[in-house]
Amino acid sequence: MPTIVPYSHVLILAAILFLLGAGCAVARRNLLMILIGVEVMLSAGGLAFIGAAMRWQHLDGQAFVIFIMAVAASEVAVGLALIVYSQRRSGTLAADRYDLMKG
Amino acid sequence: METVLLLLLLFPLGGALLNATVGRLLPRRASEAIACAGVLGALVMAVIAFIRGGGSTQHLTFFPWIQVGDFAAAMDVSYDPLAAVMVLMVTFVSSLIHLYSVAFMRDDGDYVRYFCYLNLFVFSMLVITLADNLLFVYLGWEGVGFCSYALIGFWYTDAANADAGRKAFIVTRLGDVALGVALALFFALFQSFSITYINAHAVGLSPALATALALLLLWAAAGKSAQLPLTVWLPDAMAGPTPVSALIHAATMVTAGVYLLMRLFPVVALSPTAMMIIAGVGAVTILYASLAALAQVDIKRVLAYSTISQVGYMILAVGAADIIGGMFHLLSHAFFKALLFLGAGCVIQALEEEHDIFKMGNLRRLLPQVYWPFLIGALSLSALPMIGGFFSKDRILEAAFMQPQAIYKVYWALATVAAGLTVMYTFRMFFAAFLERPDGRTPETVKPIPRLMVWVLWPLAILALGDGLLNLPGGPGKMLLANFFATVPGARPDLGASPAVSWGLGLGGAALVLAALGLTYLLFRRPRPDIWGRLQDPLCSAFYLDRLYLKCIARPYEYLAGVLWRDVDEGGVDRGLEKAAGGFKILSGFMGLWTTGRLSTYLIMLFFGLTVMFTVLAMSWNW
Repeated sequence: MPTIVPYSHVLILAAILFLLGAGCAVARRNLLMILIGVEVMLSAGGLAFIGAAMRWQHLDGQAFVIFIMAVAASEVAVGLALIVYSQRRSGTLAADRYDLMKG
Repeated sequence: METVLLLLLLFPLGGALLNATVGRLLPRRASEAIACAGVLGALVMAVIAFIRGGGSTQHLTFFPWIQVGDFAAAMDVSYDPLAAVMVLMVTFVSSLIHLYSVAFMRDDGDYVRYFCYLNLFVFSMLVITLADNLLFVYLGWEGVGFCSYALIGFWYTDAANADAGRKAFIVTRLGDVALGVALALFFALFQSFSITYINAHAVGLSPALATALALLLLWAAAGKSAQLPLTVWLPDAMAGPTPVSALIHAATMVTAGVYLLMRLFPVVALSPTAMMIIAGVGAVTILYASLAALAQVDIKRVLAYSTISQVGYMILAVGAADIIGGMFHLLSHAFFKALLFLGAGCVIQALEEEHDIFKMGNLRRLLPQVYWPFLIGALSLSALPMIGGFFSKDRILEAAFMQPQAIYKVYWALATVAAGLTVMYTFRMFFAAFLERPDGRTPETVKPIPRLMVWVLWPLAILALGDGLLNLPGGPGKMLLANFFATVPGARPDLGASPAVSWGLGLGGAALVLAALGLTYLLFRRPRPDIWGRLQDPLCSAFYLDRLYLKCIARPYEYLAGVLWRDVDEGGVDRGLEKAAGGFKILSGFMGLWTTGRLSTYLIMLFFGLTVMFTVLAMSWNW
């Protein structure tokens, strides 16, 4: 029986990735970098699913990852389009400049 | 027959609709012609209907109206002798008033509205007169109320006129409430709204229910017919154009209440208590209004109080179980009161809107063409022997006298005293306006009046003079009207008085009227506005009834409305809401600080929230 990576290790790696993504999304001011951060967070979720599928020998987890990839792809498409539009409209990608809804 | 009666109703309605829709586009003559044709058409139909089936009772259904479950109401009519005569009278008098209006309103620009309401008024009254279904009656009843409101306040740019219209509407509405309750009660008891059915099946009613129903009907009639305690709207209704006053007093409106009591007489007659109260209301109203009429200065207000008093006689007749006498007096009253009002209209226009009788005088010489018809009307109103009103009033007094209960003798006495007062107030006005006096009018101050307005007086004058022939106590035309009405439920053609009593009452009444006439001549040959001294004020204001209502009902109501409006609504509800809204605004301003406009803040918040949520979830998870 080959030695497999324990599930807890996979989860820890996924958590680190997730926090890195979240940190990127929170800390960066550039809209593009925020989008990348969100992508990293999504991938972290996918990694946790893969690990779970292996742990319980169940294909549902892998199916979910396929879905997450599809969602991420469409999200990137829409997100990039929005970013391009925003850049053209206001000439900047700094997130803090978009404060129309400020209370 | 069905077509005739349907046309009878549709003619005035069509006239009103035509004038309401296209009247403004038509020339003035066309608009007037439509209105007159509507009423004259109805008159022709009434005559045809009378010839073809006047003496019999017919029940016709035009078409079903409302049908819900086992509740059904139809547009149907019951054409009996009572309705036949009433319809003839209403259409005849209204036709003359319409013709008169053409001349009277010659300088008024708003003739389309005027003629539209006038036609609608006649239509509503005809519905009340003919309808068999009580709901249908109610339709006409409210229609009459609405039209009176619209016409009394016709010159609405003057606030006083608009107020008078509103007052009439509100006071008669007080009576209408009772009719509504009575209608519901009728349906609960009989499962039917048909007057014919109710009259035929009324016998089984318990005395208490019969009394309640009769009193509700009396209250409704008091509202429409301006009886105590709901008299106050009628004198103010004089704010309308004079032909409208004539229409309200003679043909439509005020007679509706009495007519309703006559139509439902078999129900009313079941309760002797209610009959006594009805007669009492009538008798007291007669005397009350006669006294009030004695001190009026405005020629139209004298006539208004005389109407209240004369309608009181009709109510007394119903209370004394003599609907024939009531109907007889209704007819003669319609003729002489229309005549008097139209005559007064001529006088008022000739003197340039002068209403004060003490500023008239000399009109016999200056307006001879009005003098003679007006004299006939005044004589008929005073019930001078052998003239129209005498026979009808005599019959009512006899009916009251012949009732077995002792209280009716009191009513009879009241009504007899008032008969004397009638002569006094009528001729006080007549002498002041028409007889020669040095401070009276001079020819220069009298404007000519259109001849049409004078011609219209004569048919009415002839009828007022001669309508006693309809029901002479003896001779060739003996009891013509009484026998004609014999088939009406509850009618008693013969009052059962012995010839001695009958002659005694008749001669006594005649002597009283003549004596009162003599006394009036002595007292009022020279106009004496100050004859009542300190009594003038209470008499002229009709014993402060208006002021009483104002103090006891209108003012407290106004005060309550003020409290509810200012303190409860504006001070309580509105201010409460404003304060609450202000609080929320401050709170939301506080919350607004959180929306910094920085995306990272929101994300941190989101992560923080999610962390808290998941932590709580994890800690409460049942591992």
